[in-house]
Amino acid sequence: MSQPLARVDAFDKVMGAVQFGADRVPPGLAHGALAVATIGRGRVVRIDTSAAEAVPGVRLVLTPRDGGELASAGFVMAGGHGFQSLQPLTDDHVAYRGQPIALVVADTPHAAAEAAALVQAEYEAEPLSVDLDADGVEVLDQAAVIPAGFFPDVDVGDADAAFARSPVRVDSVFDCPPQHACPMELMAAVAEWNGDTLTVHEATQNANAVRFGLATQLGIDVERVRVLSPYAGGGFGNRNSLQAHTCLAAVAARRLGRPVKLVVPRSQMFHDASFRPASRHRVRLGATVDGRLQAAIHEVDQQTSRHDLFPANYVEMTSRLYGIPNFRGHQRLVRTDVQTPGYMRAPHEHPAAFAFECAIDELAYATGRDPVDLRLANDTGTDPVSGRPFSSRHLAACLRRGAERFGWANRTLEPGSMRLADGTLVGWGVAAGAYPGSAVPTVARLRADDDGTVSVQVGGHEMGQGIRTAIVETVVRDLGVAADSVRVDVGDTAAVPQHLTAGSWGTASALPAVHDALQELRRSLDLPPTGAVDLRAALAAIGRADIEVQAETRAPGQPPEAIDRLRRGAMAIAGPEFPTFTAFSFVAHFVEVRVEPTIHRIHVSRVVSVVDCGRVASPVTAASQVGGGVIWGIGACLREGSEVDPRYGGFLNADLAEYLIPVNADVPRIEVDFVDEPDPHLNALGVKGLGEVAMVGVAPAIANAVFHATGQRQRRLPIRLENVL
Amino acid sequence: MLTTRPFTYAAPTTIADAVALIDTGGPGTKFLAGGTTLYDLMKLGVETPAAVVDLGRIPELAIVDTTGDQLVIGAGARMCDVAEDPVLLHDYPALAESLSLAASQQLRTMATVGGNLLQRTRCAYFRAGAPFACNKRDPGSGCAAREGIDRVHAVLGVSDSCIATYAGDWAVALLAFDALVDVVGPGGERTLPVADLHREPGDTPQIEHTLAPNELIVRIRVPPTDTGRASTYLKIRDRESYAFALASAAVGLAVDGDVVRNARIALGGVATRPWRARAAEESLIDAPVTADTARRAGRIAFADARPGRHNGYKIELGARTVANALLIAAQRSVR
Amino acid sequence: MDRFPRDTTGSASRSGFSGRLHVQMVVNGRDVERDLDPRESLLDLLRERLALTGTKKGCDHGQCGACTVHIDGRRVLSCLTLAAKANGAHVTTIEGVAAADGSPHPLQQAFVDYDALQCGYCTPGQIMAGLACIAEGHATDEAQIREYLSGNLCRCGAYAGIVAAVRATAAAQEGGC
Repeated sequence: MSQPLARVDAFDKVMGAVQFGADRVPPGLAHGALAVATIGRGRVVRIDTSAAEAVPGVRLVLTPRDGGELASAGFVMAGGHGFQSLQPLTDDHVAYRGQPIALVVADTPHAAAEAAALVQAEYEAEPLSVDLDADGVEVLDQAAVIPAGFFPDVDVGDADAAFARSPVRVDSVFDCPPQHACPMELMAAVAEWNGDTLTVHEATQNANAVRFGLATQLGIDVERVRVLSPYAGGGFGNRNSLQAHTCLAAVAARRLGRPVKLVVPRSQMFHDASFRPASRHRVRLGATVDGRLQAAIHEVDQQTSRHDLFPANYVEMTSRLYGIPNFRGHQRLVRTDVQTPGYMRAPHEHPAAFAFECAIDELAYATGRDPVDLRLANDTGTDPVSGRPFSSRHLAACLRRGAERFGWANRTLEPGSMRLADGTLVGWGVAAGAYPGSAVPTVARLRADDDGTVSVQVGGHEMGQGIRTAIVETVVRDLGVAADSVRVDVGDTAAVPQHLTAGSWGTASALPAVHDALQELRRSLDLPPTGAVDLRAALAAIGRADIEVQAETRAPGQPPEAIDRLRRGAMAIAGPEFPTFTAFSFVAHFVEVRVEPTIHRIHVSRVVSVVDCGRVASPVTAASQVGGGVIWGIGACLREGSEVDPRYGGFLNADLAEYLIPVNADVPRIEVDFVDEPDPHLNALGVKGLGEVAMVGVAPAIANAVFHATGQRQRRLPIRLENVL
Repeated sequence: MLTTRPFTYAAPTTIADAVALIDTGGPGTKFLAGGTTLYDLMKLGVETPAAVVDLGRIPELAIVDTTGDQLVIGAGARMCDVAEDPVLLHDYPALAESLSLAASQQLRTMATVGGNLLQRTRCAYFRAGAPFACNKRDPGSGCAAREGIDRVHAVLGVSDSCIATYAGDWAVALLAFDALVDVVGPGGERTLPVADLHREPGDTPQIEHTLAPNELIVRIRVPPTDTGRASTYLKIRDRESYAFALASAAVGLAVDGDVVRNARIALGGVATRPWRARAAEESLIDAPVTADTARRAGRIAFADARPGRHNGYKIELGARTVANALLIAAQRSVR
Repeated sequence: MDRFPRDTTGSASRSGFSGRLHVQMVVNGRDVERDLDPRESLLDLLRERLALTGTKKGCDHGQCGACTVHIDGRRVLSCLTLAAKANGAHVTTIEGVAAADGSPHPLQQAFVDYDALQCGYCTPGQIMAGLACIAEGHATDEAQIREYLSGNLCRCGAYAGIVAAVRATAAAQEGGC
């Protein structure tokens, strides 16, 4: 194929024809609205719903009094299905400000909202602790509280001794704020009962979790729950698991005997779903005088909730970024009074890279080496943690190609040495990034009809990353059929099991399953393993109008039980360490910033990003995804921080006017390039993950460029005007 | 929160009917122009009018005449249209810029130039409702912002009861040019300077302006000035677009030879109301505009500033904003 | 068409105020009549009662642009527009942009061609804003397009494609005149 395939669902999207969860308007629909706690921690001692119930059109008010009808779905990272273990409305406990305390259902959205505001609660408040330094937090060694083998600390060689011996040392502390993913589509569910069977329309990245979690919560057989999520209006980790509102909609719909739609307002979404936790990083680097890394110590404190332990996983990536012979990573969890934090695009890798790659830049200046040269000098082909080779690693190619495209050779090393005639300071910065390669077990079902149609049902979710397009492209490339004859069904639990799609394993897991199903199809049709196929003729030859095949794939080294786990609704993630190799995607970002002469506004004026994601599965959507990742990095570095007032808990800037995500005018020229070398080990198609690695390293590249422009190190995100004034 | 209380609605077609309806509706009746502030705050439960008089169907409110000595801009004209008025663009760039740098084009298409004058603060403690104390929303309850996250809050015109920033841009530019507003009430029409329209919070931050509840802004007038051409509105914000001002300055200059004969400076994003910096203006009279005099004027403008916990940077930022705006305006005076 | 909402309660008309309104409007070329609660937003009317769900709710407070529609040819945020304000008006949503034969508007096609979207949730609002941007004459260069589309947030970050699609469509229109 010479011409890259356009995004296959783009046409429906530009026509406004795609149906997201809340777009469903079944007959008899009732509308829900949540009332939320206004204290930061404590207990609801009295709740008065009489005014709410008196609002015309109100049909139902659920409160903790109805708790018996609901159970926790468990925390997704502890074997459950929920974004947190705490299920609101099951008891009178208030764990954080913004926690739902009542659901109102009415005939119209405005009656429901009006009534929800009239729910009166009395509280018994308790002292709260919401940031890393607050009195009353509980600090835990992760290794001591999370079972061995999961998210371990890293200890290679003797990092402390090697650091102490090193002639050049860097020792810096970096702060990353809580941040919110803010997908454009609001959290929403439409719950519909047909007899004792529940159908839920909801945008999710994990239809399995919604399905199995609801079955647990409602005490019904999982076979009676169907979840449909054909499209999600952005995921970014925010829809990784079951949200608290979904079962409330389901309970209300069951009670009322009519469908219920519950749309979580934007301000409530800041509290009723996960977020990127605050983290603090101390990075110590020891090197020879010419910049060869001898030791690194990366210590992290990360926020979690009182009720769950959201694992920190920062050092998994930083220990692999370079060939550092002595590495110690240590991660602690800090319990605070918030909803449980969770995964948000490049969840740990973005903050980790900010800290580590800024420290690397400090080392470059400490040794007087060019920051690109220093990174190249510390490259490695072997995973220093496991001692096994990387499945593929082209970070050096990313750095070299990026430097070439950016014109890095024209950079002068001295901070403040590049400026325009009007006094504008110019800074050029570089940073690398990596993201673990993972895969999950996947089932693909493929059907060919004698009208030439190929229908694919596969585990996976479309959040805009382009999984549909990559699947269609795989089928088209394999069979030589027209793209518009391929139908793709993702995110439907009635078709095949739907494992969580996240961590950049979605496409890398779905495509191998589709590939195997295609091979199975060829065998069933008595066709050679490659070459264009005439489906009509092949079906006619075996005397059938249609044929259906199925394939199940597992990650390298994954046992057959992984498929059972998938079918039971459990997670089964393999990577980045596999039996014979370690898999990571890599990226290098080059950034130019311009800092205004007097007011010192920072403008990102140019970005070049080169990615090693194995073979590029879909060039069109891949380039878009990297551009988006760079914009996320700009937001994370210069704009985004969720504000916490320690007196009240919760998040203060809980809307899109005060939580500042990048707008169109913020976006510079972004050049994207790919190494496009197939990975020979991770899967048959040679693809590695892309969506997350695209963002990793953008923030430090910007911060390093700001240093180059101004001579000031910025070690706290976001970097705002007042920090450079 | 997140509610709209029930209200009744009327959409009169004349100014006289609108004013009469406010009295008919009784206490709690409010005018609604574009609705971009009022309806927003109604959804938040911060505004709870019992009745709304929609001004969107009164043609006489939208008349704009910029061909005479003074600019006459009907209060019902839309921000996006006035932003592109050729006379404003050419002769009063600060006015045009203050409009086009505000909000987004969709909001500017909905919002009116009259309603925008009374845009309410973006203080998160004000908007979010319970549990936050807010004297503006709930008089006597206190001010959560003063001991809270006050990064975007005011440093000028603050009081112990309120530090909420006036969020608008247009009124700041109008203030620089001594604009007037004509208002009509049951007793007839009266005129007041924009300078007398907004109030500092003092002990009554819930009272933000000097209009009676039954008075309606019908037009804005900008008298002739020699400072219009060499003017600019410089707005500094967290994003490149679509964000509220951290600091802004509307500046106009009349320069004779090398020296300033007349200077106008008004500040936004830093004060509890549109803020005129008269001492800073006077510091420039009979002086040339240089980096030094501009910086000095900027510092004078913030001489009385009172920083809080996280907004102290606004004093330096605001001073530099004034200085840069003066240099831009000075360049325009020689074009 | 009567541009003024009629009271349907029968009780409040003497005061001039109504607690229940009857409105008529033309939505995507079709006459629509509905009784309204005055607090109903145009967005909720379109989505929940007219089944026009192409227009999206991303914030409900005028902060994201996902709900952008046209009233009498001009772009507004339907979430902050009282439905009553659209009485007597022509409302155009994403469902009313394509040609009568169902073929996409050139800007819709350009969004496909330039991959100006990822998840697609903000896309209808981006297209409605883009159409207005071109009609207003604010699509003469990239910087201007970026500025005049900054009221439409795209969390996926498809901005470069959006700008390219609007620019190309505007240029084709200019060339065609």
